[in-house]
Amino acid sequence: MAERKSPTAVLHEGPRALSDQQVREIEGAGLAEVLDVDIDDVIEYVHKDMRSLPDYTTLYRKYLKQRWDVYDLDFSQDKIDWNEKMTEAERNSFLAIASGFHHGERQVEIELPVFMIGAGEEEKLHISAQIEDEARHTVFFDRFYREVVGLQGADIMAILDASFPWVSETFVGPFGLLAYQADEVRRNPYDERARVRYGTTYFLWIEGVLALSVMKVTLSYARWRGFLPAYYTGFTATCRDESRHVQGGMKYLQDAVRKDPSMIKEVHETLRTILTLAGVASREVIYEPLGWTQDEVRMLMFQQLGRKLNDVGISLPPDLQAMVGSVQPVLAGG
Amino acid sequence: MSEPEFFSPEWADAVRDALAAGPSAQDRAGKLPMYWDFFEKVRAGYASSWALGCRDLPGGPASLLVQWGGGTVVDCHVTGPGVREEATYVLGMDYAGWQALHDGYDPQRTVMYRKILVEEGNILEFFKGIYFFTECLAVIGKVPAGFRALAVS
Repeated sequence: MAERKSPTAVLHEGPRALSDQQVREIEGAGLAEVLDVDIDDVIEYVHKDMRSLPDYTTLYRKYLKQRWDVYDLDFSQDKIDWNEKMTEAERNSFLAIASGFHHGERQVEIELPVFMIGAGEEEKLHISAQIEDEARHTVFFDRFYREVVGLQGADIMAILDASFPWVSETFVGPFGLLAYQADEVRRNPYDERARVRYGTTYFLWIEGVLALSVMKVTLSYARWRGFLPAYYTGFTATCRDESRHVQGGMKYLQDAVRKDPSMIKEVHETLRTILTLAGVASREVIYEPLGWTQDEVRMLMFQQLGRKLNDVGISLPPDLQAMVGSVQPVLAGG
Repeated sequence: MSEPEFFSPEWADAVRDALAAGPSAQDRAGKLPMYWDFFEKVRAGYASSWALGCRDLPGGPASLLVQWGGGTVVDCHVTGPGVREEATYVLGMDYAGWQALHDGYDPQRTVMYRKILVEEGNILEFFKGIYFFTECLAVIGKVPAGFRALAVS
């Protein structure tokens, strides 16, 4: 973590162009080497193949090469940084953001299996790998909250209970919606319209917009300050995993809309509900200790949403475009 | 005075009064005015009804029908076993889930963990009012109720 540029620098620099060498380094980095990878490069890597999305078998093969062992991380330096170097304001801001991820990872882990039932065979391979990724990410946050933050509990749910007070009341918007849409898919696993609505919430909004935006806030802070090396390593590896999830999810939506253009209505109707909810915040979160402002986080979310829609070829009607302008930063992802 | 039995007519009356009054000042504290402005906007225009079911209520499944209109509750009553209530959204939860909500379990997680589910109704429309719904669920959970009967397994 030698580079110490401002966390928000990339917002003003615009999208990066990754060289083939940089792509090879991101794709091939082992867990220990991930510490030296720039999170902005990984987020750019997510978009690299968006216009010509890889097939599901390619994504599955990437998973086999890129999976990492969450128990290889050593959080001892993170514990020192957390208790001795970070200020109380930094810890409070960090927890307000990370807790949405702690719960978000658990939610996307348990809501994904039903989507596999109606998927094609190659897509099933990709989804099964994604379920394992999400389970590993859930363990990553469980370890972080136990070993660094110092929460105590007998099991994973006890730690989730302990971190829930930091979760905003508006978390139920996207994640409650996903739970109910998953139940809809469970009842009718081959209902393609229900699957597209589910995919819009899960892959486009939660993973493509919320997760990538919020990941960047805590990771760029850690890189900027030179703190929390195991968190940076594990969560940057998580971001690399998300690149496969977002690409697979965008491929699903793109294919569904190309096959039946009327499916765009399901995407728009789902976004109409999501954006109605995303215009509201229940808590004030102070981003400044992490090097961000609320407007910069909002700008980051606009960029993420705009890039996904443009790359996949989904346009928004005027009313949805207007709703995008009032989105409040949502501190969650999965 | 003893608390009314869960899913009794007296309990339904108390729920109606509590929902009409809305979240307490204590519950409102700590959340941004923007959030409550949204809550009030949804409530003012809400004309839908909820059939809040208890699937394994001793004696048979039953529902609490809550009809909204004009910014308040215009009807709130329990429908007995065997009566299928017409409502915009039919929701169901087990007796244990209701009891947990009454004991203070978080209404957000009651939704996210699918303890309560929309069984009939348009999910996307329902979720446009989800913050309103979860706050109402919290209000209902605070209405005193006796859970003397054992859940039917």
